[in-house]
Amino acid sequence: MKNLLLISFALTLSPFSAANEDEHSDMHDLMAHLLTPASEAIWESSGYVITEEGEFSLEPTSEEEWQRVLYGAKVITESAYLLNIPSRAKDRKEWIIFSNLLKDVGEKAFEAAEEKNVESLFEIGAELYQVCVACHQVYMIK
Amino acid sequence: MKNLRNFVLLSLIFLLSHLVHSHHAFTAEFDANAPINITGKVVKVEWINPHAWVHVEVEQGAKRTIWMVEGGTPNTLIRNGLTKNSIKPGTVINVRGYQSKGKLCLPRCIANGRDITFPDGRKVFMGSSGTGAPRDGSDPKER
Repeated sequence: MKNLLLISFALTLSPFSAANEDEHSDMHDLMAHLLTPASEAIWESSGYVITEEGEFSLEPTSEEEWQRVLYGAKVITESAYLLNIPSRAKDRKEWIIFSNLLKDVGEKAFEAAEEKNVESLFEIGAELYQVCVACHQVYMIK
Repeated sequence: MKNLRNFVLLSLIFLLSHLVHSHHAFTAEFDANAPINITGKVVKVEWINPHAWVHVEVEQGAKRTIWMVEGGTPNTLIRNGLTKNSIKPGTVINVRGYQSKGKLCLPRCIANGRDITFPDGRKVFMGSSGTGAPRDGSDPKER
């Protein structure tokens, strides 16, 4: 019993637990500072706000706004590669599948933004969310 | 070819998202023990990803409260029979759902919507499946 307690204590102080914390923080940073703002750039580039005054499209109205969408799409694609770095990948199974799906969505969003195709961006925005949720369901640290 | 690729991709997402049984997005933001049942006039609809939002003005005597009700993605709502044109501002609807964990209603009350009932009695599921929301019979896929 005493040995068990000592081992438990040693494990909590070991580099393994520190590594897990760093890993979590690294993943959190990647999500919070790269993927979330990049996804928001896609989501905010299409859709409608409807009030009694009428219907307003959210589509970009300037080159600068379109650049934000292109940038967001590219960041999503590149983030997928970052997620696949061996030190970040949680496994070589679903993790890789989800990352590749994310890459595909990023590429499609980039193509749609280049074509200024708002309807397509709206569809891709929903797809992006599905990929995010599906991955979070499996891996998100509670 | 592109359509086939999209179909395979969406099927894969669907299959993978059903490998697990719980998701904590709902419980992170909403209180399963705080059900709401509100009736009021639609004043604004945000038909946006990742969630559509329906703003409902509820009158209680002289007091008017705006509830921001979160729905599923617009695509999910379309599959359930709701379009951006079917929730017109001015329509009086009944919404059942769950309030956010922060219940101060400042500046607006926030809730996760489960279903909408229209003036003609039509009831439509407005949430998303598999979010961790209570199994309350709203989601036809849970039955």
